[in-house]
Amino acid sequence: MTATSLQSPAPPLVALTGVTRRYGTGEAAVDALAGVDLALAAGEFVAVLGASGSGKSTLLNLLAGIDRPSSGEVFVAGQALHALPQRALARWRGTGVGLVFQFFQLLPTLTAAENVMLPMDFARRGTQRERAARARELLERLGVAAQADRLPGTLSGGQQQRVAVARALANDPPLLLADEPTGNLDSQNGAALLALLRALADDGRTVVMVTHDAAARAHASRVVTLRDGRVASDVPVAT
Amino acid sequence: MTGTRWRKVLRDAWLHRGRLALAVLAIALALAAAGALLATWALVGRATRDGYRASLPVSATLAIAPLDAGFVARVRTLPGVAAARARRTLALPLRIDGTTRQALLFAPDDFAQRELAQLVPDGGAWPPPDGTIVVERSSVEFAGARVGESARARTGDGEAALRISGHVRDVSVAPGWMEHVVYAFATPATLARLDAGRVRDELQLRVADANADRDAVRRVAAAVRALAMREGRTVGRIDVPVPGEHVHAAQMNSLLLVQGAFAALALLFAAFLAANLLTALFARQVREIGVMKAIGASDGQVAALGVAQALVPGVLATALALPIALLAGRRYAALKGELLNFPMDTVALPVWVPVLLIGLGLLLPLAAAVLPLRRVARLGVAEALRDAGVASDSGSIVRRLSLPGLPRPLLIALNNAFRRRTRLALTLLALAAGGAVQLASASVRDSVLASIDALFAAQSFDLTLGLVEAQDAATLVAAAAIPGVARAEAWGRARATVRRPDGTPGDELTLLALPADTTLVATRVLAGRWLGGRDELVVSRRAAGDAPGLVPGARVQLEVDGGVREFTVVGLVDGGVQALAYTSFDTGAKAGILAIATTTHDEASELELIARLRGALSAAGIAVSGSQRRAENRRVIEDHMLLVVDFLAAMGWIMLAVGAMGLASSMSLAVLERSREIGVLRAIGAPHAAVFGLVQAEGLVIALLAWLLAIPASIPASVAMAQAFGRIMFAVPLRFAPDGTAVLAWLAASLGIAFLASALPALRALRVPAARALAWE
Repeated sequence: MTATSLQSPAPPLVALTGVTRRYGTGEAAVDALAGVDLALAAGEFVAVLGASGSGKSTLLNLLAGIDRPSSGEVFVAGQALHALPQRALARWRGTGVGLVFQFFQLLPTLTAAENVMLPMDFARRGTQRERAARARELLERLGVAAQADRLPGTLSGGQQQRVAVARALANDPPLLLADEPTGNLDSQNGAALLALLRALADDGRTVVMVTHDAAARAHASRVVTLRDGRVASDVPVAT
Repeated sequence: MTGTRWRKVLRDAWLHRGRLALAVLAIALALAAAGALLATWALVGRATRDGYRASLPVSATLAIAPLDAGFVARVRTLPGVAAARARRTLALPLRIDGTTRQALLFAPDDFAQRELAQLVPDGGAWPPPDGTIVVERSSVEFAGARVGESARARTGDGEAALRISGHVRDVSVAPGWMEHVVYAFATPATLARLDAGRVRDELQLRVADANADRDAVRRVAAAVRALAMREGRTVGRIDVPVPGEHVHAAQMNSLLLVQGAFAALALLFAAFLAANLLTALFARQVREIGVMKAIGASDGQVAALGVAQALVPGVLATALALPIALLAGRRYAALKGELLNFPMDTVALPVWVPVLLIGLGLLLPLAAAVLPLRRVARLGVAEALRDAGVASDSGSIVRRLSLPGLPRPLLIALNNAFRRRTRLALTLLALAAGGAVQLASASVRDSVLASIDALFAAQSFDLTLGLVEAQDAATLVAAAAIPGVARAEAWGRARATVRRPDGTPGDELTLLALPADTTLVATRVLAGRWLGGRDELVVSRRAAGDAPGLVPGARVQLEVDGGVREFTVVGLVDGGVQALAYTSFDTGAKAGILAIATTTHDEASELELIARLRGALSAAGIAVSGSQRRAENRRVIEDHMLLVVDFLAAMGWIMLAVGAMGLASSMSLAVLERSREIGVLRAIGAPHAAVFGLVQAEGLVIALLAWLLAIPASIPASVAMAQAFGRIMFAVPLRFAPDGTAVLAWLAASLGIAFLASALPALRALRVPAARALAWE
């Protein structure tokens, strides 16, 4: 258990209360999430496990503000995501959350540095020069500064995923969401990425990682297992 | 937008540079054509409207004899008259540089007068010194009438030497090169010295009301005629042109309007091509859009990226098309200027033309992008992130029909052609429309040639000789009885004006008086009957069009040679572009024309016969003022008519080029979208030829469909073009079935277009590696 989670009076960074996400209507309706309650503190590194169709991706989409609950409430850093209009949600995504995808999803016609600058452009953060400097700084921190001016297609999988993490950190969000971040990496690169995410959590950022990778749980501070849209288990991991 | 996003837009464009180039070329081609026409229309409009009015054109010309300064001064005091002057006119043959041509010499009573029909000196002396002529600009080149050159005028009793002392521009006359007449100016004294007896006196006037319509001018002309008649003067022909409008302006505007309509269609098809391209590109970028939204891009920011992407082809096409459009517009306007005898080089292009073109060029792809952009910009983030790259295809008609017996590769190609139905429909529309206009222009060309055939089939004479003075018919025919002449007829000819019910002068026409037993004219009667007795009139379609009262059964009064004669219209014939009326040659009347049927019909024999006829007539004391060969007349008319058809057909070629680029773009997109399928085919052993053939066959299927669609579509296109031609020149018969040769030629062209448009995409398909195509992510 981290030091942050021991401070009981501090409000959680992420709070889900009675969250249900239903797809379809009538007899064809399926509850991807059914009455989920979850609170995550700042600095936690949470691994979300579960079989296919258990609701992992739906949970991640709700936390990222790219989907809304059918009922219940989702708060992230004090923002009621369930109540924000689309336009405000888009603005919030730019600064409130960083996303890391399984297939990296870097824009193929932008260089690594430009990919990192893009969220800052959308959020209109700083000047163009400041954005470029921050992008370089993040790439440096993630060990891919030498690849800053290269297009994603010329980078290895591990390098691409590091650039993707740098992009997720561009606007310094308090919450980092990673969807199967090691799914497309070899074991060595996968382990390095997990260590990186752990370090980010140790710096006080909340990291939520959806994964099938059993090895990944070893890096997490907490493991939440979903089954049929409900939280089946929620256990801290000793570090 | 920031630099990062602009860089993304530009690099995405570079990624699809081949397809983008096709869209840019198609838009640029259509825009350049539309822009050139727009610029031409603006320049011609400005020149003929403002420039023509600025020249203070003559409102009416009346043949009045005698004409003196006192009468002209009294005319100037009449209500509604702003300016008036006397002008002497003399028609005679003029030999310059060894060639004799018909010339019309004008001698205004006051060259310094600036209130009426201003003339602009164009080099050499002005006004013409006595004993010299100043040649109107449009006659200079075809007559070889350089300043300082000597000319010899054939007068009633011999020849007189004249020096060409200068050039002048008179915007009121139709171009001399087109009319085959040398227009020139001289002093009244020079004209009197040449042939005083044949000089015609004319009164030219301009009405005070600059906005007066034709009827208002006719009323003023009638008042002048009444004054002249009260004073015992003879009033002949009265000419009232359409006020404020150049003699050929209406034809030019009609031609430009029809060409403009085709150009607008070509632009529309270019927009289809842009829509196809942008839809496909946006569809490929759905997941990228999802990622951008996931990292904080708003709908507006995504839409702005799409707008910028759509602006790229617009900006490139506009940059390419604008200079071409303005240059081609100026050139085309200069050509029109030559046809109108109007200077275009000094006319400034209105600033709204380039502004409108830039707006069109930028907005066209934007408009084409609106729907696909709206769809992708509004996609939910999760939905966009789930996108597999390209939406699945709609079900195939061919698969549903399950055509038995077709070879598998052909079935796949047919199937593929129908997979993107909207894209297929837009591609077919553009290609078929281009084909339809091609077939239609071939059809109209046939109609025009058939009409000219019919027109000249009615004429069995080969030569006509105009006489200086009207002669006794029998004497004339007898003098012309020389070897090489198969038949000779003496005809009367006069300019006549249709007298309107209110007594004001109406439209002008040429009145030809033919012998009752004529065998040299056998015009097909469209309505009523041919001439059968005295004081009957058979009118041409153009004359009937100008004066709606000229219908079979109507009684009309014509003002001829200063008198008024009453006729009964008995028939309607096709007379081509001329306003013409036939009547019977009165016994004992004098003839002004000798019509000859020759025994041999080659050019050299005819020219030799003309020379011998001139000699024979001269020996009989008959002076010839000019001669015309029917073959030469036909060639001139044919050239003019086919030039108009070619102008119309040129727009069909542009539409076809845009359609071909649309097909190439569609095939390129199809290969891009199906790279995975192509990879699968290659993985299971499809040889190069099979993959290449599959793409080529798909292009062929689309081109064949377009060919089939073009055949019925050419019928309304033919009707529209024939009607347009009718408005510009003269009515031609409508043809509802396209010509078989043209249909086959269009089939060959379609196959060629299919092969060329599909060749590059097919080669690209060969370069798709199986492994990369199968590794979707």
